[in-house]
Amino acid sequence: MSSQNPKRVPEEASDPSLSVTLDGETVDARPGETILELAERHGKDIPTLCHDPRLAPAGACRSCLVEVEGSRRLIPSCATPVADGQVVTTANDRIARHQKVLLALYLADQPDFAARGETPGGAQACELHAMADAVGAPTDWPKMEPLRVGREDRNPYVQFFPEACILCARCTRYCAEIESVSAISLAGRGAETTIATADDVSLLDSSCELCGGCIDVCPTGAMTEKMPVTAGRRGHVEPEKVVRTTCNYCGVGCQMDLHVEPAANDGRGRIERVVSPEAGTTTNDGNLCVKGRFAYDFVDHEDRLTTPLIRAEDGSLREASWDEALARTVEGLMGVHERHGADALAFVSSSRCTMEENYLVQKMARAVFGTNNVHQCAAT
Amino acid sequence: MPDDHRRAAVPDALERAGGLVPGAARAVSAETGVPEAHVWGVGSFFHLLARPDVDARVCTGLSCQLAGADALLDAARGAGVSCEGVSCLAACDRAPAVLRGRRVQPDATAETLGAEVPDWAGTIGPDGADPDRLAIDLAGEPDWSGTAFAKAEAMGADAVIEAIDVSGLQGRGGAGFPAAFKWKSVRGQPDETRYVVLNADEGEPGTFKDREVLLRRPDRVLEGLAIAARAIGARDVYCYLRGEFEIPWKKLADAIDRVGAAGLFPDVTFHMHAGQGAYICGEETALIEALEGKRGMPRLRPPFPTEHGLWGKPTLVHNVETIACVPAVVTRGGPWFKDLGVTGPGTKLYCVSGHVARPGTYEMPLGVSLEELVTAAGGYVGMLKAFSPGGASSGFLPASEKHRPLDFKSLADVGSMLGSAGVVVCNDTVAMPWAVKQQLQFFEVESCGQCAPCRIGTRFLREALDRHVADPRPAALAQVADVSWEMNEGSICGLGQAACLPLTTAMKWFPEEFGQ
Repeated sequence: MSSQNPKRVPEEASDPSLSVTLDGETVDARPGETILELAERHGKDIPTLCHDPRLAPAGACRSCLVEVEGSRRLIPSCATPVADGQVVTTANDRIARHQKVLLALYLADQPDFAARGETPGGAQACELHAMADAVGAPTDWPKMEPLRVGREDRNPYVQFFPEACILCARCTRYCAEIESVSAISLAGRGAETTIATADDVSLLDSSCELCGGCIDVCPTGAMTEKMPVTAGRRGHVEPEKVVRTTCNYCGVGCQMDLHVEPAANDGRGRIERVVSPEAGTTTNDGNLCVKGRFAYDFVDHEDRLTTPLIRAEDGSLREASWDEALARTVEGLMGVHERHGADALAFVSSSRCTMEENYLVQKMARAVFGTNNVHQCAAT
Repeated sequence: MPDDHRRAAVPDALERAGGLVPGAARAVSAETGVPEAHVWGVGSFFHLLARPDVDARVCTGLSCQLAGADALLDAARGAGVSCEGVSCLAACDRAPAVLRGRRVQPDATAETLGAEVPDWAGTIGPDGADPDRLAIDLAGEPDWSGTAFAKAEAMGADAVIEAIDVSGLQGRGGAGFPAAFKWKSVRGQPDETRYVVLNADEGEPGTFKDREVLLRRPDRVLEGLAIAARAIGARDVYCYLRGEFEIPWKKLADAIDRVGAAGLFPDVTFHMHAGQGAYICGEETALIEALEGKRGMPRLRPPFPTEHGLWGKPTLVHNVETIACVPAVVTRGGPWFKDLGVTGPGTKLYCVSGHVARPGTYEMPLGVSLEELVTAAGGYVGMLKAFSPGGASSGFLPASEKHRPLDFKSLADVGSMLGSAGVVVCNDTVAMPWAVKQQLQFFEVESCGQCAPCRIGTRFLREALDRHVADPRPAALAQVADVSWEMNEGSICGLGQAACLPLTTAMKWFPEEFGQ
C-alpha cells in the first residue's frame, strides 16, 4: 500500500547486459530485474513471505535478505534491483542464522492451532511452517502472549484469524494493487497491528467484492475460507484430489482447482474449497471472483436438476432420458419453424455458458434455423 | 488537487473530524477520495487520532517514571479521569509530564491535572557561557535581521555548502550523518523540484532540546531552513512538528508570520504539518510517509530521501538543532564552528534529566563528559549508578563511564551512541531490570509494526524480561542474544536495530541483576 518502489517488470526481451556475481559465479542479469528474480532464474532458493510477483515489493517480511558487497546491512533481495558488478551472496552462516532466528520469532508469535496444522489446508499448506522446517528454525521458544483478538464478521466467505497473521500485507496490497478495491488495510501500530476494514465493519459493509484474493495470497492461513470452518471441517489436511476445471459462471474462462473429498456424499464426492491456480500459469493469473471461488454449493444442492424433465399436457413434470428430452426439444422448435417461419424463433444463451457454447448457439440460430434472433444475457 | 496532495490532507481532516470516531473514516474518504480503509489505516496508526477521547495522557518515559508517573496515572484513574500512559512527551526536565489535549503540562500532580496550563519553557544553561562560543545560544535574543541569510545569498550556494562541509556539522537527530553530504547530494539531483523538511518530531525518551530551540530561537530555525532551501534549490519547506508541541507550534507559526510579513526570505515558502502521535515518525522516511498522509512506516533504503524523498522528489531532512546551527556557521564560518567542540565539531545541546539537581538543556562543546554535564546541571541527586547517554536507543552505561566524552565516536566505541544526546541519569535506588523495562515497553508500543524482527522482537524481549523478573532463572533470558542480534541485522530502520540495546547493555554492565 505504501511502498514507494514502483513495480518492476523485468524486460524479458532486452539483451542481458549486466554482470553480477551470484554466490561466486558470474551471471548475466537483466536491467530492471531484482536480485530475487535473478537468483530464482539461477535456481537459488531464497525464502519469501511478503513477495508476490504481481505486487510492488514491500521488503517487510525480511525472509529474503541477502548480502551485497559494499552494504554493511543485509538487504531485501525482493526490493533491490540488480546492478552491474554487484556481488551477491544468498547463503552463508550469517544469512542462515538470520533465517533461523527470524522464523523462530514468527513461530513464537503464532497460535498453537497453526502449529498443529489446524488452518484449512493444513500445516503443509502453511508457507510459514514449511519455511521454518526448511531453514531449521528452533521450535521450542516460549510462546508469546496472544494479543490480537478476532472479530465476528457476518460475511459468509472470508474468515480472518488475526493471531495467525504475520502482517506480510500481501492481502492488503493485493486488494489495492490488483483488485483496486482497497477494502482492507493494515491498522493499528506495533505489536497490535492487524488487518481491518474502516470502522471494523463487516466485509459486507465495506467496498469488498468478496473475491477471496486475500485468502489466496495469505501465507499462513490467517485469511481463509469460512465455509469449511462453519461446517466444522477446520483442521483437515491436504486435499485428496485436485480437479482443474474451467469456471462456468461467465465466458472469461478462468481456470480453477477444485479441492475434492472423494469419499464424501456416499462416494459422489464433495468440493471442499476452490483455489485459483498459481499466478502466471493461467489466463486468470491467480485471480478469481466471488462466484468462481465461493459459489460452488449449488453442485450438491438438493434443488439442483440432475436429469432432464418433460412437462406433460396436464402440466406435470416427469423424468426423461437425454435422448428423449433432446428429441422433444427438436420437435417443438421445428414445429414453430414450420408453422410460423424462422423469425418466430429466438435464442437466448447464458453468460454462464463458455465462449464456445455461445458461439454454437448463434451458429444454430443462423445456420440451422435461419434467424438472426439471437441474444446473450451478458450483452445488455 | 493532485492525488498525492489529497492523501496528504487525510491526517488533518481526521483531526478536524475529532479523531477516528465512528464514521470519521468514511467522511474523510468522501472528502479526500482516499479509500476509507486506507483512511482507517492512517488514523489507527497515530494514537492522538486513534483514541481521541482520552483527557489526560501521562508520560511513561524513563525520567517521568523516575518522577512517579505510575503513581500519577493511578491517582488520575482513581479520580475518574479518562487517562492512559503515553510515550515520551519531550518534557523529561519537567517530569512527570501529562498531555492534556495537545498541550503538555509539566510538573504534573494529581491535584493540578484539571488546571489550565500556561505557556512554559525549561531550564537552559550552562550559566556564564560565552555567547560567542555558542552556535545556537538559547538564551540569546532572537535575531530577525536576516543577516546570515543575506550573507549566504551573497556567498552563493557552493560557498555555503563548502562552509557547512568545513564546519563538520553532523545531524543532531541521532545518526550524526555529515550535513554537507546530504546538501551536496540533493543539490546534485537532476530533478529540479526539491524540498526541505524540518524534523521536529522530537520523541526519543530523554530528549527535549528541539522543544527549547523552537520556543527560544525560532529565528535560527527559519533562517537555517531558508539558507538550506536556497543552497539546494528548493522553494518549499515542510515543518513537521509532533502533535504534542502545541506551544512550540505557536512560536514557530508566529515566527513564520513575522518573517513573511517582513519579506525576509523571498522565494521560500514554509508549510506546517502536525504529527498525530507516533515516535517512529522521527525516522526521516517514516516522517516523509506521514507528511504524504500515510501510515508512518519507514521506507526501505536505498533509495535515500536525498534522491527519492517527499512525493518522490529529492529532499533534505534535518533535525531542528542541526538546522539551527546553520546561521552561525554561515555568519561566523566553518572553522569557527568546528573549533567549538572538544572531541567533535561544534557545540551540542545536551538534555539531562533524571537524578540531577537542575534538569534542562545545556549547550556545551561536543565531547564533554557526563561528569562535566552534570556539574553544569547542579550535580547528581544521590549516588550515580547508571546513565543513558543518548535516549532510550543508546542503552545504559555504568557510572564508571562518567568521564567518557559524550560524542558520536567515543560512545559508539563502547557499544552505545550519542543519538539525540538525551541523557538520563539513574542513581543507586534504581533497579536495572525496572529501568530496562520502561525502555523496552516504549519500543514495543512505538514499533511501527511493519517488519517482524522489530514488531515481534521488541515484545519478545519485554516478555522475556517479565519472565526473568517473575522467576529469575537464566532460562528466561536464553534467547535474548539471538533475538537482539536478529533485531539489529534484520530490522528495516534504526528503531528495531537499536531497540535491544537497553536490555543487552544493562545485561553487559550489570550482569548480577540479570542472574548472569
